[in-house]
Amino acid sequence: MSHSQRSTGLTAFVVTVLAVVLVAGSLIIGRTSAGADPQPTTRSAEAGFARDMQVHHDQAVEMSMIVRDLTESPDIRLLAYDIATSQSQQAGQMFGWLATWGLPQASPEPPMTWMHRPIPQGDSHAAHNLPAAVGEVPAVMPGMATRAQLDELRTLSGIAAERMFLELMIAHHEGGVDMADAVLERSDYPVVTDLAGSITKAQQSEIQLMEELLAART
Amino acid sequence: MSESADRKTTKQQRAEARAEKVRAHQQQEAARKRNRRIATVSGAVGGAAVLALVVTFVVTSAEPQQRPQDIEIAGLKEFPNLPATHIDPSPVDYQKSYGMEVPAGGDHSQIWLNCGVYNQPQQNENAVHALEHGAVWVTYDPQAATEADVEALRAAIPDQYTILSPYPGQPAPFMASAWGAQIQMDTVSDDRLTQFIDRYWKSPNAPEPGASCSGALQGPGLVA
Repeated sequence: MSHSQRSTGLTAFVVTVLAVVLVAGSLIIGRTSAGADPQPTTRSAEAGFARDMQVHHDQAVEMSMIVRDLTESPDIRLLAYDIATSQSQQAGQMFGWLATWGLPQASPEPPMTWMHRPIPQGDSHAAHNLPAAVGEVPAVMPGMATRAQLDELRTLSGIAAERMFLELMIAHHEGGVDMADAVLERSDYPVVTDLAGSITKAQQSEIQLMEELLAART
Repeated sequence: MSESADRKTTKQQRAEARAEKVRAHQQQEAARKRNRRIATVSGAVGGAAVLALVVTFVVTSAEPQQRPQDIEIAGLKEFPNLPATHIDPSPVDYQKSYGMEVPAGGDHSQIWLNCGVYNQPQQNENAVHALEHGAVWVTYDPQAATEADVEALRAAIPDQYTILSPYPGQPAPFMASAWGAQIQMDTVSDDRLTQFIDRYWKSPNAPEPGASCSGALQGPGLVA
């Protein structure tokens, strides 16, 4: 009797070990066979960034084209030319990502939802001050000018137009940097992190330039 | 060897044989039980392993994904191989030239219509240029649509790269048009509107998707 109890215990132990090994093995196989660098899905941070940053960039292009018609200042006209052409090119890159990933350009959920999903764990930036719940998505993208502000800009000219453009674009760039930071915290996808990294650098240095241009106009 | 051990009685022999049988039966029974247990446990483990495989594969690889161009839309009308010449200032007869009751591409004005929500009808030739840039034009029959319908349409479509406007006399209460594609809808809650947006909004199907949908003509009655 005691012999058979011992063998039952042994069987149970062996079976448990086997079960653990098999399940863990299957998890690993499942994970690796899904691809080390899977294509972003439609609700991923990468796809959300690609869609929302296109919208954000489109407005920067629009504002730049507006101010070029309102001022003769070579500094402002060149800055606007630079922003319009570089951000159009970047928006085109993001358009191309979505096409390559086989995803719709249209979002299945409200804009900015991806920015308000929790940052993946084990990330050193986890302390970043973003709301964790998806329910807190704001109605407006960071730094976006309102239609009323754009309409007001169109009524101005000369230094008044330049000042309003600089103020709007500084806020717009700050919002853009926040969005790029948000995807850098959530993604390791190289083509995405490369562009997001260059956006944060370029826009931060342009913010500095615009602050100087603005100071020269007070 | 003692005599008593040597020469067992028949009774003793039978008893021993019976005991032997019982032992053999018990062993068989135990083996059967063990086999059954092993089968059950390994079956469960195997099942768990398969489940784990499926779960990780689904979680890590994807939500079910469909390429936009593969989305099937019931009642979709397509207009392939449309020309895209700027024809200012002569008007285009979209009905006669392409069989379109509401324009869905073709020759158009050099000046595109700015995207937005309008409460007045817009010029076909300008709106079609916006379609060339990847916009979706959602139109409603002002005689059929309520204010709530218009609000619902507004909520159902993206803010950018869309035009929403009344189109008196159109053949259905609600319609969505993109470059070379169109659907008709009886209600604003028609699921095909989302399918149409997913497939055609800023679609590579348009000649110049992502080209600007602002900075040109602001039509009459812009609301937002």
